[in-house]
Amino acid sequence: MLRTIIAGLKARTARLVLSSVAIALGVAFVTGTLVLGDAMNESMRDEFAKSARGVDVSVTLDGPGDAKGITPETLAKIRQAPGVAGADPRGYLQVPLISSAGKAKPAMATPLAGTEKLREFDLANGRYPNSANEIAVDVRTAETAKLSVGQKVKLLGQDDQTREYTLVGTYKQGVGEMSMAGGDHLVLTPDAFQALAPENLPYQVVAVAANGFTQQQVADNVRKAIGDSGFRVQTGEQLTAETLKSISSQAAEFTTFLLAFAVIALVVAAMVIYNTFTILVAQRTRELALMRCVGASRKQVFRGVLAEAVVMGFAASVLGLLGGLGVSALLQKVIASFGDASETVVRLPISLTTVLAAFGVGVVVTVLSAVLPARKATRVPPVAALRSQPDSGEEVSRTSKLRVLFATLLGVVGAGTIVLGMKAESEEPAMFISGAGTMVLLAAVLVLGPLLVGPVNRFLGAVPRAIFGVPAKLASANAGRNPKRTAATTAALMIGVTIVAMVTVVANSAKETAGEQVDQRLPADYTVTSSVYDRPLPRDLATRLAAVPEVAKVAPTSRVIAERLFFTAVSPDALGDLFRPKVESGSLSDLKDGTVALKADYAKKAGLSVGSTTTVKTDQGSESLKVVAIVSGQRLGDGVLTLNTAAKLNPEFDGYETIMVKLKPGVANGRAAVEKVTDPSPLALIDSAAETKAQLNKQLDQVLAFVWALIGLAVVIALFGIANTLTLSVLERTRESALLRALGLTRGQLRLMLVVESVLMALMGAAIGLVLGVGFGWVLTTALSTEAVQLAFIVPFGQIGAMLAAAVVAAVVAAAMPARRAAKTSVVAGMAEA
Amino acid sequence: MSALVSDVGTRTAVAAANLVKVYGKGDTAVRALDGVSVAFQAGRFTAIMGPSGSGKSTLMHCLAGLDDVDGGAVHIGGTEITSLGDKDLTKLRRDRVGFVFQAFNLLPTLTAEANILLGLELAGRKPDRQWFDRIVDVLGLRERLKHKPTELSGGQQQRVACARALVSKPDVVFADEPTGNLDSRSGAEVLDFLRMSVRQLGQTVIMVTHDPVAASYADRVVLLADGHLAGEIDNPTADSVLAALKHLGA
Repeated sequence: MLRTIIAGLKARTARLVLSSVAIALGVAFVTGTLVLGDAMNESMRDEFAKSARGVDVSVTLDGPGDAKGITPETLAKIRQAPGVAGADPRGYLQVPLISSAGKAKPAMATPLAGTEKLREFDLANGRYPNSANEIAVDVRTAETAKLSVGQKVKLLGQDDQTREYTLVGTYKQGVGEMSMAGGDHLVLTPDAFQALAPENLPYQVVAVAANGFTQQQVADNVRKAIGDSGFRVQTGEQLTAETLKSISSQAAEFTTFLLAFAVIALVVAAMVIYNTFTILVAQRTRELALMRCVGASRKQVFRGVLAEAVVMGFAASVLGLLGGLGVSALLQKVIASFGDASETVVRLPISLTTVLAAFGVGVVVTVLSAVLPARKATRVPPVAALRSQPDSGEEVSRTSKLRVLFATLLGVVGAGTIVLGMKAESEEPAMFISGAGTMVLLAAVLVLGPLLVGPVNRFLGAVPRAIFGVPAKLASANAGRNPKRTAATTAALMIGVTIVAMVTVVANSAKETAGEQVDQRLPADYTVTSSVYDRPLPRDLATRLAAVPEVAKVAPTSRVIAERLFFTAVSPDALGDLFRPKVESGSLSDLKDGTVALKADYAKKAGLSVGSTTTVKTDQGSESLKVVAIVSGQRLGDGVLTLNTAAKLNPEFDGYETIMVKLKPGVANGRAAVEKVTDPSPLALIDSAAETKAQLNKQLDQVLAFVWALIGLAVVIALFGIANTLTLSVLERTRESALLRALGLTRGQLRLMLVVESVLMALMGAAIGLVLGVGFGWVLTTALSTEAVQLAFIVPFGQIGAMLAAAVVAAVVAAAMPARRAAKTSVVAGMAEA
Repeated sequence: MSALVSDVGTRTAVAAANLVKVYGKGDTAVRALDGVSVAFQAGRFTAIMGPSGSGKSTLMHCLAGLDDVDGGAVHIGGTEITSLGDKDLTKLRRDRVGFVFQAFNLLPTLTAEANILLGLELAGRKPDRQWFDRIVDVLGLRERLKHKPTELSGGQQQRVACARALVSKPDVVFADEPTGNLDSRSGAEVLDFLRMSVRQLGQTVIMVTHDPVAASYADRVVLLADGHLAGEIDNPTADSVLAALKHLGA
């Protein structure tokens, strides 16, 4: 038997190579996504671990105390505790860094640990600061702010005074909890840090143990020294464990995202492998039958097929696993190119899960794909199998009732789930439930697939039939002759296109909605905002802006943060002009000092309506406010009140949050005029609607590009599946091709016939996929829409057209090899083929 | 039709001159055809016979322009075909040659009618409806036109192939063992039809066969052995053909 198997493997090299490539590609995709997920996790872990490295004991505040931080006295006690070799405070401060253009940007300042072991950074260039007038910045900050060692760096102190430091070095920071914001980052000596913010107290003190002391001993000593109440003393090990635990949940989100793609990859790969093998075994049925005729038992034949599949699946999986590492490395480069990370380390961790998944897909799917059709083949009497194979058309029509029933069942379940999801109140469950529903519907269409091939093929084939005549007619007949095979071949592409189309529709809808929101939010030509969150814009900036001749009107806004509530404050004369929320009831013209307009959802939750009174309490004051209107719209917080009311509630907030600027009609160079006023102010940033939109679109486009890259792989596998099917079909139809050639089909027409068949299959998958994807996109945008935000439903016809065109081009490429092969075969040789 | 019939025996439909076909190279080379010169008159039914390996199928393939030759020339209706390129040969086949093969004559994806009209469609020619109806009726295929090949019996399939070969009114019909896969009754029907198409419709038919009974339907038998012409029999009977074959084998 073994000899027969090896001989068989040798004799069918070409076909085996095709199916091995199908397996390897599938495995590569699955491993690629899994390895990528692990790599992301690992790099995150390493980064986070930096904050805990070198730490033997950590002291943080614990429980509900009034303490705002760890006092210098406590620090001194910790330092004196037996076994403490060194201890340093960790704190942070938001401090505006002034760029060379004179503009402030928010940066995070931290004190440099005196103990070298306790520094959470790696020096990149130069050295760390030694004296109070020296500074080191993060390498990314140095790059974006165009700073180099030796230059002066200016910071804006809390008293709005500029302080100057000399840059002595750059460092690479780990991703600590405090630095996750990813903003600019700088380090000062503890003295300089203290001088910048005398009241700022550290949130943590970290210490290293002296030689001969264990972490536990030192922790106990520290606990004794500072007392137990109000502090949390941890050993370094505990701190590391806690840090890692806290990031696992963050990393899990991304892993889930990638896992979804891995599942798609798995399904697509499994379909391509299954289809290839089904065709292979169908073609070998006669060979298997012959073996049965000469005395092989059913078991022997079966075992032969199984052994062959195992060998092939295993070999291809190894190749696929290696390919997957390449895919992962490539994807990491792609992701890195989105961000501004200057140097990326490509990580290729191989976990047991990855290996198991790879071989699971490669070997198990291959074996199942080989064995199921082989079982079917060995069940028929050998002599019947020796006769030529009927196409699957009959079988499909025989089982059509069952198919329709099953598909209907899935369809009902899917539709029900979608309806359920759409009814869900909050966005996330709505999206997940509806999303699951769409996937069930997709499964329903997959089940229905073989029945759809006929009508869709007739419909799509009409155009090529009209243009190309007989070859296209034959191609269309060929594409439809084996509905099961065609359906399985196109299904892989269909899944890929469905998901790409869905994501594209949702992303474009989100883009459009975001754009609309920006327009709504920024009715002004420009909005001046503060570059540093907790520093308001000076009041006189509004006055000076109003004085600019090109400016028609300015409208400053302020904010009030009450207990769990957030209010926007505007001047009454800006209402309905530069500031125009949608009025649900009441009237905004009644909004005077001492009144409030509440946002609809908050009013509903709190049971308030026009005419009722509500009390707003802040740290600094409390006011009873009459509700005069219920409004809805963007950027309102929980309600709107006047600037004067805000000033009473919030006397410490000295200035404005934003200043909206409206230009006089037809003014040229408005921006320059506004900039003339804002430029000298380090805090003032000009926001224009167009720029905000461009920025939002850029972010969405990046996400979209990433999804396209991932799904693109699935589509490539799917197209390979088409090429595979076509190649095998061409081999199967050698005699038919020869007959056609004898009857007068030219070589060119034969090639054309195969190209049209390939294009028809690709279009079938792409067309059904697009219809489903756009439909599912509609479902998701509708599910994501809430009362407050109605998501627009945008079908990006340009991108969809591009997808269809790409499918056609890819199909032509996929057909190239099989078509060449078919055209090359001589008529006589083809006729002689058994 | 009368004009055609009066042509019988006077015009050459297909001619081969000193035809050479070699398979393989060097020591293993086999001269399948070794200088065969033969002419086939229009409006006659000729059978090519010979033992296995005599080169009869190769001769037919070369005559029909399905295979290239290593020497000599073939004319079909006055056209020298051995010098034609693939495209012109393909055109010539679909315009002027009809085929009936032993098996696998029909495209499984097309109905009987579409199969019959396939050659004409490829050539972009309109079928002569009267002619089509006449052939279909003579072959008794009227009821079967909408059926797919898998729904037809072997004999019916061969009749569809005959109809396809004749519908384009070709210069010559080549039949390669057309009854090889049929039971004797269906075989006789097909042979009857081929003979009738020659006698009544003025068609030219060249048939390769190894069956003396099938050959007895022809007007003339050309005998081939080891790639050489080995004799001819006019107005053959099964017995005379069998005797000639025995003589060749001896």
